[in-house]
Amino acid sequence: MPPVFDTPAIDYHAFAPEIAMVVTLVVLLFVDLVFEERGRWATATVAGIGLLASVVPVLSLAVDGADRSLFGGAYVVDNFALVLKALFLVAGYVTVLISTDYIADGDYYEGEYYFMLVSSLLGMTVMASARDLISIFVALEMLSIPAYLLAGWRKRDLRGNEASLKYYLLGVFASAVMLYGMSLVFGVSGSTLLVDINQAISRGVDSVPLVTVGIVFIVVGFAFKVSAVPFHTWAPDTYQGAPTPITAFLSVASKAAGFAALVQIVFIGFLGREDVWAPMFWVLAALTMTVGNLIALRQTNLVRLLAYSSVAQAGFMLAPFAVAADIPADRGGVGAATGAVVTYLLIYAGMNLGAFAVVMAVARKTRSAEISAYGGLFAYAPGLAVLMGVFVFSLAGIPPLAGWYAKFVVFKTLLDAGTVAAVTLAVVAVVNSVIALFYYASVARQMIMEPAPEAETARVRVPGSLGAALGICAVATLAFGAFPGLIAQLGDLALLGVLP
Amino acid sequence: MIAQNIAFAILALVATLAALRVVTTRNVVHAALYLVVVLASVGALYVLLAAEFVAAVQILIYIGAIVVLFLFGIMLTRATIGVESDLDNDQRWIAAITGLFLLGVLTFVLVESFGDDQLPGLAGVSREELTAQRGTGAVGDAIFSTYLVPFEVISVLLLAALVGAIVLARRD
Repeated sequence: MPPVFDTPAIDYHAFAPEIAMVVTLVVLLFVDLVFEERGRWATATVAGIGLLASVVPVLSLAVDGADRSLFGGAYVVDNFALVLKALFLVAGYVTVLISTDYIADGDYYEGEYYFMLVSSLLGMTVMASARDLISIFVALEMLSIPAYLLAGWRKRDLRGNEASLKYYLLGVFASAVMLYGMSLVFGVSGSTLLVDINQAISRGVDSVPLVTVGIVFIVVGFAFKVSAVPFHTWAPDTYQGAPTPITAFLSVASKAAGFAALVQIVFIGFLGREDVWAPMFWVLAALTMTVGNLIALRQTNLVRLLAYSSVAQAGFMLAPFAVAADIPADRGGVGAATGAVVTYLLIYAGMNLGAFAVVMAVARKTRSAEISAYGGLFAYAPGLAVLMGVFVFSLAGIPPLAGWYAKFVVFKTLLDAGTVAAVTLAVVAVVNSVIALFYYASVARQMIMEPAPEAETARVRVPGSLGAALGICAVATLAFGAFPGLIAQLGDLALLGVLP
Repeated sequence: MIAQNIAFAILALVATLAALRVVTTRNVVHAALYLVVVLASVGALYVLLAAEFVAAVQILIYIGAIVVLFLFGIMLTRATIGVESDLDNDQRWIAAITGLFLLGVLTFVLVESFGDDQLPGLAGVSREELTAQRGTGAVGDAIFSTYLVPFEVISVLLLAALVGAIVLARRD
């Protein structure tokens, strides 16, 4: 019998965003190779244009509207995937904008930096579409390995080395645990496709302990990725030691990718096994919010404060998972939980990137990220101080800034679920919102009330690209807060795709 | 089936003993060499399961690349090559307890789920049928059809890892 190989049919339109990114990667390497020192300045521009060009096919796929399922359902391009791909690409573009001057001023490898950044983003866009265990694992490594390297990009700095090494060692350990969990789940279901896994593990009661251990291991692996307590120990040191644009990138894009994978694995693969994962997510969410906020209260360095605050924000995003299965069908069911997570991610990306952009603009002058260095900022740089105020109060959830709507949808899912556990979690979340307001407000107080250290009141010069990044984040934060309908539509679009 | 069971018992015993030596030996180079024994035994287990491709990959990647990389790493850094007394740290008992607990949980879970299962007998299955379904050819077909996306992504990943490793390792 001669060997038969069925050539798979490939829908190139569905892969167009990824293909555009790979082309960007190749162009980046060539610009670095051909123009050497003279072309360094162009690499940021190439990366930025490449990422914006990759958004075009995402839009054309969205206009086309049809869900595309490739390779027997292993790779799906639907509204959920498209919303997240757009989020990753725009967040990546903003990261390029805030990196441009930081990387050009420091003594860093420029071309390779943007090459790593776009590689990591490629992993994220693949993750948004991956609906089988092998694709998810490969996408996770694709987004993580460049991120480990980027965290240590300041290679002559001991803190930078510590940041990279801690992130790398704990990251590969979490990957190994998750991979073992995947092998157990595959052993029971006999398939790597999430849809088939759902059929196999929600159908019978065979091998309950095996399924439980498999689900626990996989969720633990992703809990590391989204820095949920108690798997958050790497986050503060890594965030402080990494170059600041990379800290912003990790706390937004990398976290969003972890949540994208969790949504797909849990809501497609493990639906019907909520007896295992719902209590886990409850504990993770409550711990993550509370521990993140309590430690954030004690921080004196703004980057570390934002690191712990991003841990706490992850707790809010984990909360809808804990109650997803209890939401009645007429309130949207599991889809409502998906919509809440995606909405939170979109809003959080704008305000957190914005806060980091202000930190970078101020650090260009003060060379410090200590909160005490922010004294008198309102007097000598009122524009930056007002923007910082907008971003931190949005993170705290004050209307009419976008953050309130993110918190509102999470509370709505918790109360719609209406079980005792859900209401308790809502109470925990309210208490945490109040704690968080305290430290966010203390940043604002420092900027307005305290005098500038050493009467240093020269104006802060903000370079063009950093200004553009600030503008994009500020517009997103204000517009989504004033017109939550905009973001609600995106969130609704996203939930349509995932539901089986 | 008897022959396979005896072979499994021997391989499993060798792998376990070698694994214990990896963590108890006081010489880093010996630990790496014991690791070769562990990985080779696992490779032989794959052969017993008629997964010859996985076995070959196991030998090539783990022994041929990873352990050799360990040995180069030990030689190129200024680590001691002989016996070292401070190779163990204070957390070894916690580590041992955690390891035993994990062993207990996983043994229970696997025995509970698969304890009564048997591998399908090969009597009456033609050689061609077996290779078409499970052989190296089938793995190749799967990589270039069902798993095409992960395969292509990994090729970009290797390039990215290469570029990043050069940046971090190069002296400047």
